[in-house]
Formats: sequence, structure tokens, C-alpha cells
Amino acid sequence: MFSRTRRSVLAFACLAVTFAAGAAHAQSPSGKLVLYTSQPERDAAQTVAAFRKVYPNVEVDVFRSGTTEVMGKLAAEFAGGQPRPDVLLLADAATMEALKKDGRLLAYPQAKVDGIEPGVVDADKTYFGSKLITTGIAVNTGAKTRPASWADLAKPEYKGQIAMPSPLYSGAAAIMLGTMTDRPDLGWGYFEKLKAADAVAVRGNGAVVTAVANGEKSYGVLVDFMAFNAKAKGSPIDFIFPAEGNPAVTEPVAILKTSQNQPAARAFVDFILSDEGQKLAVAMGYIPARASVGMPSWYPAGQKIKLMPTDISRVVDSNSANLKRFATLFGN
Amino acid sequence: MAEATGARERVEQHALLWGLVAVVFMLSALPLVRLVLEGIAPGGRISGDAFASVFASAATWTATQHSLVTSLGGTLIAVLIGTTVALAVSLTDIRARNAFVFCFVAPLLLAPQVVALAWLQTFGPSSTLLKMIGMAPPLGSRNPLYSAGGIMLVLGVQYSPLVFLTLRAGLRSLPQEMIEAGLAGGAGPGRVLRTIILPLMTPPLLAGIALCFVSCLGNFGIPAVLGIPGNYLVLPTLIYQRLAGLGPGALSEVAVLSIVIGVIALAGIVVQDVLMRRRDFRTTSSTASARAFELGRWRLPTEIALWTLAALVLIVPLTALVLTSFVPAVGVPLTWASATIENYHFVLAEHAAARRAFANSFGLSASAAVIIVVIAVPLAYFLVWRRNRALRILGFLTEIPYALPGVVLAIAAILLFLKPLPLVGFSLYNTIWIILFCYLGRFLVLGLRPVISGYHQLDRTLEEAAQIVGARLLRRLRTIIAPLVAPTAAAGALLIFLTAFNELTVSALLWSTGSETLGVVFFSFQQGGDSTYASALGTLTILVSFALMLSTLLFARKLPRGVLPWRD
Repeated sequence: MFSRTRRSVLAFACLAVTFAAGAAHAQSPSGKLVLYTSQPERDAAQTVAAFRKVYPNVEVDVFRSGTTEVMGKLAAEFAGGQPRPDVLLLADAATMEALKKDGRLLAYPQAKVDGIEPGVVDADKTYFGSKLITTGIAVNTGAKTRPASWADLAKPEYKGQIAMPSPLYSGAAAIMLGTMTDRPDLGWGYFEKLKAADAVAVRGNGAVVTAVANGEKSYGVLVDFMAFNAKAKGSPIDFIFPAEGNPAVTEPVAILKTSQNQPAARAFVDFILSDEGQKLAVAMGYIPARASVGMPSWYPAGQKIKLMPTDISRVVDSNSANLKRFATLFGN
Repeated sequence: MAEATGARERVEQHALLWGLVAVVFMLSALPLVRLVLEGIAPGGRISGDAFASVFASAATWTATQHSLVTSLGGTLIAVLIGTTVALAVSLTDIRARNAFVFCFVAPLLLAPQVVALAWLQTFGPSSTLLKMIGMAPPLGSRNPLYSAGGIMLVLGVQYSPLVFLTLRAGLRSLPQEMIEAGLAGGAGPGRVLRTIILPLMTPPLLAGIALCFVSCLGNFGIPAVLGIPGNYLVLPTLIYQRLAGLGPGALSEVAVLSIVIGVIALAGIVVQDVLMRRRDFRTTSSTASARAFELGRWRLPTEIALWTLAALVLIVPLTALVLTSFVPAVGVPLTWASATIENYHFVLAEHAAARRAFANSFGLSASAAVIIVVIAVPLAYFLVWRRNRALRILGFLTEIPYALPGVVLAIAAILLFLKPLPLVGFSLYNTIWIILFCYLGRFLVLGLRPVISGYHQLDRTLEEAAQIVGARLLRRLRTIIAPLVAPTAAAGALLIFLTAFNELTVSALLWSTGSETLGVVFFSFQQGGDSTYASALGTLTILVSFALMLSTLLFARKLPRGVLPWRD
């Protein structure tokens, strides 16, 4: 009697352990995940929807604005002691590098980075580039002449015809500014020339694509995918890869140390880096960080885009001074 | 027995009155007191640092100057249009007056940011409308509306109905004897207009100008859509950008900026008051309204001119907006082949925040309308039938949050609710409740005014009879008064709903993920360059607004004159 009871208790315990193990295995992240991102409205919505298809138990709250504005909000939340987001998906590595320096980012050594372009992953695994976004010159198809290089764009014949994204709003534009001003062939003199040519700095890349597609400006400094997506939808817009090369950002994803829901945050990073997440990026017109999933249809076949190299640590150091100087020069 | 009833009646009255005083004080006065405190003592310590740093910044002065320029310019345009139209509609024998007034006043009730986008899409090289008729300006032409002049023009059109409405009310009570005396004395209509009518119309005109100036000053949607892209900032957009970019860290600074804009608004009201007092405008009251001047052969041209104006201010921009909502991408000409409903599909089915925004805006507007009516009916009882000085002050308090620019109340509410509430322990900041709180404070007067005019029409003997047979105050309010003021209360509720539904100024500063309003989502599309989505969303909100305005015509006969602005 006694022994039978003991046996059945034992059996029950074994069963319970099996169940628990099974549950742990099947347990998928759940709860609320707060995402701060600089992706365009539509892309952010699609990314979240695709993520939730894989992890249906996670509710995602999104705050979207330009990288610089997201960082402003975040800085205020850090100061107040209550940062809301769990994960960040922002335009550039320099922003992430600054956050890492301040000890805000959580390392995720188990992230599946095989097949991901090695240059875009942080050595300490705190942030992971998710794609490649290059900045070139957008041109309205009705424009008579086309600049072949960045230097061309500052020529007098383009006076009053240029829109560019403000680095005070856009992270990609901040990197563009940091990269170009750091080069001897362009430098601050280049931006002074642009200013003299009455180039206007608008709120972000979204405003640039509107102005060029609208024909309010014939030329725009713009990220590649926005130009090609607008072109695919029928807008009268073309994209030029300037001779000096394109400054580029990697749109990294990162987890904050203060995240209240780390399982869901890790799941989000996994999703972004997964084949599925990368294919979604390609479908949305981005160059993926995982080359094996293919290239967006606009990508010049058999060619490599010439990238303008960026010294991330220099950009991190000079960023706030750059922004101030830009604000004074362009009055915003 | 009678004494006991009387005592209980008094207790009930006092309890209700003090309850209302507490509510009005909380909604109207408390946030502003908190704001002023922040200005004097930022972060709790008395210091002039916040003022000093704000006034040391060139951006402050530029924005203040821009605010003054666009508000004065907008007011000037509104006065020119509004006065002309009011005189034509009130003094002449034109036909189809009701339909015209509806079309002319409608822009006032539509969302300013949507109207601004509609105007933007009327002009410029990519105007779908101009492209269809082959008149689009050449590539590279700047849209003329991205400028101070553009902001003034759209502000002027948006608020000319305010001048029209105050003047129209004044012209209705114009003493007929004086006009007839003038005419009998041999003066022509032009001279009567110049020497009799216009001087008598000074008070409503001044009131209209002040109202218009303050509205232009506080408007956020128009300078945001037309000014931010060209970096032409006015005070409300400067406050928005500071708060959006820096978060609550910029609170002391934006508190000072909102005090600046509040002071300018008050100055406008004070100037009006001083001007009114300098002269005596009293006239003998007159019951008959003035006889219309017969236009004769000028009637048709006048009518054509008026309807052309209505087409220019309402139909042309809205057409441009609707057309743009059907193009697949910016810059694509609209043809039968290129037309798509993809933009509508996106905002209605795909975009989670847009869907939430519909629910939020409906919920917020309906709740604000219902709660305000519940406050306004008993409050108006005291304001109309128990007049004394304290109550007059209370009535004045309800006006302040609406008279001041919306950003002032929004910033005040952030200051009030950023820290967790005492006792309850949670913070309203970053929730939808802070938006509801602001709506209640800001729109209370919109519900109160119609209800007050409803009380003025009531015969008090009914209520007194009920009191004599022993019904106490709450019961009388419920069974006698509420049914009688119901039509005006419904009209007030509708005005609140429409205003809140189209609102952006307050929610742009107070929204958070999950509590987006339609205005916020529209603005975010527009700023992000997704102007086709913005057009679709704007078209939908305009359809809802029009449907609501038209639905009121069903019970409009039961309302006192002037309660529904769009009904003559």
C-alpha cells in the first residue's frame, strides 16, 4: 500500500517534470513589448505584424519618429528614470554606439548572427545591423540635367532645386553629415556650398521624397529604398548613385538593459535577423544584412554599390557638434 | 414639514453647487495655476532662469514674431471676407441663404490640419487637381502655401466664419428705425451702411476680431502643415517641436513659452475690452429685424460672387484632397487607370494606429460630449437663475481654457499630471485620460453656451410649480428641466463632438502609443511624407463631420437661433 503510493507519487512527479519541460520548450514569449523605431510608418506596421504572426502572444506598442527625435524622447525618459522601450530599431550604428557607451544596451550573445554581414554586428553583441540603407541623389524624372556626383550637386545650375533631410530629425542624415564632413574632398565646405545654392533641409527623408516626387524640388538627398519604393508605385522619381559613393547606415536593432520583457525583446531581435525577417526587409525594398535571402528588385544587377566609409567612433564623438553647426548653417 | 423640505432643498442645492464649483475649478483653474507656478518656480524653486534662457533664445523671438505676423494677417483676411459676407447675407435679399451659410461656415468645423493639406494639394506642381486640367505649375516651383502668406491665407479662410457669425448676430438686432430714418432722410444704401450700420456694428466686429486673433494665435494644425516643412515656426509649433524632441525634460522651457502665448492671447482680449469701453454703443432695443435692401439686377451677380467664394474656400480644396486620396503615390497623375482605393484600405484595415485612432477619437469625443452635458445642465441652472458675483466668476472660469490657445492647457495638464496622483498612485501622463481631462476643460464652454441659451428660453413657472408640490432640485432637474433643454444640450454635445473629433492641438502634445487621436495619426502621415494616406484619412474625417452637421438639420427647428453655427 505504502509502496504503491510512493510509486505513484514518483510517477506523478516524473510526469510533472515531463510536462514542465514540455511547457518550457513550447513556452513562447508573451506580454507587452515596447518598440521605438525610426522606420517609416508603413514599414514599422508591417514589421510588427509579421513579428506577431510568429509570436502571437506578444503585444507590441510602437513609437515612431526620426532617429534624432526618438533619441530626444529616450534621453528624457532616461533622465526621468523610466525608459519605456524594450527594443530599439533605429537608423544608425553611431546612435547605438552612444547608447552602448552609456551602458544602456543589453548584450545578447546567443543572437543567431551566422550569415549576417559581419561588419554590421557589434563585437560585444549589443546591437545588430538589420539592413543596409544608402543615401544617394533622388531626381524628378522631369529634371533636364542629372548630377553624376555629390560635387556636381553643389554646382550653380542646381541652385534652389535641392531638398535634403535634416540630421536634426533623421539618423541616416546625421551619419551622412558626419561621413561627408569628415572627408577632405567634401567637408564642411561642401555643405556651405549647398547652403549657398539655397538647398533646404526638410524634416526627414519622408519629406524629401514627397518634395521630389511632387516636383517642388527637382533633386533630393535621399535614402535608396524610399526613392525606389516611390518609383515602383509610379512616382516620377529616379535614384542616382553618386561617383564618390553612398554614405550608408545599417538600421541596427538592440535591447535596452531596462527592458521589462527580455524574452519578447530577444524574440524580436531573433525575428529581425531571421530569414523571414530579412526577406520581409527585402520585400519592403531594403538591402538585407543576410545576403543569402536575395536583393531588392531595384538593386543594380551584378554590381556592388560603392559605399562611403564611415568612422563610427569619430561620428559618435563629433555628432552633437555637427548637429549644432548644421543647425546654425541651415537655420533649423 | 414645509420647513424640513426647505432645509433639504437647501442642502441639495448647496451640495450640487459646491460639487459643480469643485469640478469647474479642477478643470479650468487648477491646470493654469500649476502652469503659472512652473513659470515662477520651475521645479519648485523660485527662479528666473527658465524665463531668462527662453528669452535669450533667438528661436523664441522669431517664433513670437511669426505668431504675431500670421495671426494679425490671418485676422485681417478673415475680417475682410467675414464682414463682406455678413453684410451681403444679412442686409440683402439674396436667395438660398441657408445653403450658402452652411457652405461658408463649414470650414470652421473641419479639422484645420486637414484643411491645410487640402489647400496645399490645390496648388503646387503635383496638384492632382491642376494636373487633371493641365494647369500644374512647372517642375521645381515651390508650393506658394509653404510660407507666411500661405499660413495667413488658410487661417483667414478657416476663421472668417467667426467674424461672420458674430457680425451676423449683431446685424440681426440692428435697430430698424435708424436705418429707415437714414433712408427717409435721403441717404442712399451705401451711405446708410457707412454712417449708420457699420458704426453700430463696432462691438460685434471687435468681438469677432478678438476671437479670430486668439483662434489664429492658438491654431496648431495650419502652421504645422504649412510651416514646419519650410521651417517657419510659430509659438505652438515651436512648443510642439521642443516637447517632441526633448520630451518632459523641456517642460520648464515649454511652460514659459506657453505662458508667452497665453499672455499674447490675453492682451488681444484686453485690447478689445478697452476699445469697447471707450465709446457707448448702446442702442434702443428693436424687435423687428432690418428690412433687406433689394438688390434688383445686382442680385444674381451678388449671388454668383458669394457662391464662387464658397466654392473657393470649401469645394476646390476638398476636391483636391479627395482626388489625392485616390492616387497610388505622390506625383502620379490621377486617371481612371491609376486610381486606387489602396490608401483607404491601408488606413482602415492595415494600419493599427489609424484603426485605434478611430476608436480613440470616437470614444474621447463622445465621452467629452456626454460628461460635459451632464455638468452643463445643472451648472447653467445656477448660472442663469441664481445669479450672483461668485457665479459670474465661475462662468468666466469656464471660458478661460477655451479662450486660451490649446497648447497652454495641454502643457498645464502635463505639469499637473506628470507625477503620479496623490492617493491613487498612478500617473495620468502617457494615458488617454489626460487627453479626456483636457477636452473636458477646454470644451466645457462649448456645451455650456447652448444650454444657457436654452434656459433663457424656458418659462420658469414650470419649475416653480414642481418646487411648490415638493419636488427637490435634483428631481426637478431630471424630470422638468432636462427634457426642456434637451435640444440645446444635444446641439452643444454635437458641437463638442465635432470639435474634439477634429482636434489636434491638445492631443499632439499629449498622445502616447495606444492613445493616438485621428489628428495625431493624420499629422504623423503628413509629416512622414505619406500624404496619400493622410489625404485618405482626412477625407474620412471630413465625411464624418459633414454627416454629423447635416444630421442636426433634422432637429434644428427646435433650437434657438445661433446655437448651430452652420445653420442660419
